Amino acid sequence: MREEKVKTILIAAGVVLMLSFCLAPFFFMIVTSLSKNPEFLSPAADYQFTLQNYSSVIFKESLHFIDYLRNSIIVSGVAAVAGVLTASIAAFAIARFELPGKMLVLFFALAVSMFPQISIVGYLFKFMTWMGWINSYFALIFPYVAWVLPLSLWILTSYFSQIPKELDRAAYVDGCSRLKVLTRVIMPVAMPAILSTVLLAFIFAFNEFMFALILTSDHHARTVPVGIALFQGLHGEIPWGDIMAASAVTTLPVVILTIIFQRRIIAGLTRGAVKG
Amino acid sequence: MNRIFSKDILRSYFFLLPFAVFIIAFILIPVVGAVINSLYKDVTFREREFLLFDNYISLFKDSGFWQSLRFSMLFILVSVPFELILGLIFALLLNQIRRFRGLIWAAVLIPWAIPSAISARTWELIYNYNYGLANYLLSGIGITGEPINWLGTNVGAFISVVIADAWKTAPFITIILLAGLQGIPENLHRQSRVDGANFLQGFQKITLPLLKPVIVVALLFRTIDALRVFDVIYVLTGGGPGGATTSLSIFGYNYYINGDFGYGSTISVVLFAVAFGLSILYVKLSRFEAGLR
Repeated sequence: MREEKVKTILIAAGVVLMLSFCLAPFFFMIVTSLSKNPEFLSPAADYQFTLQNYSSVIFKESLHFIDYLRNSIIVSGVAAVAGVLTASIAAFAIARFELPGKMLVLFFALAVSMFPQISIVGYLFKFMTWMGWINSYFALIFPYVAWVLPLSLWILTSYFSQIPKELDRAAYVDGCSRLKVLTRVIMPVAMPAILSTVLLAFIFAFNEFMFALILTSDHHARTVPVGIALFQGLHGEIPWGDIMAASAVTTLPVVILTIIFQRRIIAGLTRGAVKG
Repeated sequence: MNRIFSKDILRSYFFLLPFAVFIIAFILIPVVGAVINSLYKDVTFREREFLLFDNYISLFKDSGFWQSLRFSMLFILVSVPFELILGLIFALLLNQIRRFRGLIWAAVLIPWAIPSAISARTWELIYNYNYGLANYLLSGIGITGEPINWLGTNVGAFISVVIADAWKTAPFITIILLAGLQGIPENLHRQSRVDGANFLQGFQKITLPLLKPVIVVALLFRTIDALRVFDVIYVLTGGGPGGATTSLSIFGYNYYINGDFGYGSTISVVLFAVAFGLSILYVKLSRFEAGLR
């Protein structure tokens, strides 16, 4: 039994190291955001607690942080819901109908999800300029829907395939059309799966950077990741306190969502990435 | 299948229509547009001019292109194995945990969930020469007398980018490998222990071979991701110092942002071709059809 004990201690040590690595940057972000002086680690400075950074980020309108946050939530939210709805219709067809070439659609979706964004964004910029959509929500929502579709299709197809076919058959016997079977039978049964797919799609869109960087130009449509990446002080110095407070305000809800829905996120990602 | 159904089949395809419209309009057409654009001289406020392959010829003579290609290859070669090993260790640890399981799993997921541009900003502060956490910890343990210039030197910047990227992506690999680990029947391990095998032997003889297909999937997926890396580098180094960390995506972006769409498209088409080749390989290797019935 001594070997068991050694093993337990080794695992515990490993877990502590792993957690420190994963959480250290996040804690450093929080600690710095609460410090009057972001240079508190240098020997010359000391740590003084303050909420000043948070109030400046939230109330100072010239920083536009709240605008970025609102833009991000609207754009990612609309794209996630629209993307998952679009994907569920397609996933229903792939999971249920005898469609020649439906495997090719899945194959193709997988390939599409690996396209480098840089090879899409140049033309998108021209297209959005031509449409007059640059720096508007439209410039981001449409590409984001397309961006979250492959992942959503994969996850939903896999979930829908597991729903017993007897349920559909009963509904068809009752005279339901196929669209009705999807909306009245499949979607209610799969609602938890659909919601977790929406969450995943939201995180994907919320994290997106390059499209937002190129297709928006100011606080009217700029999203949080770009806003924080481009935060600059008035005189060229980097306002670390503000940046860390803004980062903390943005990531805290994401962290809480992750903790609550951890199981569903993992299930969804696994379905999306390693089928077979 | 009989004939009566054929009209039905046609109607069935309509279910795929909204999906197809989005993908075609906002992903496929832009890619084709980039290919067409790469054949032109297309600079903002100047006349568009058809060049055929002149952009490609210039690209292959461009030392900046070779530098960024070299960086991208080196980045893949270093970061992907590093992330894979990290992810494997994490997965093995998580698979052993019984207590606080939900919380610990969630903690490992957090780096994945935070937008990389935002976490990269925190890493930028961590790497700060004068008051960053990295130099503080290193001098605390007494490893280095002098603080390290993380972002200002070629090697330092490379290592910084690799670590920040690994932090972000290891959780993803962990999740994929964990799914594979949990598919290994527990009694296989028990049997091997009865047979007198120690942990390392069990790992080598049972875990690793059974995990191989999943590792291959994770490897290729990460390779493609590493090939197109952008956010972390854009925030941390901007491609510097002196172009030392300019990935292919950053290289292409620099042309787009200066209004040179022809040359920028040429770069992105080359990157696309490499990524597409890898993704075909990925799809073939992942044998995805098996999971769908």
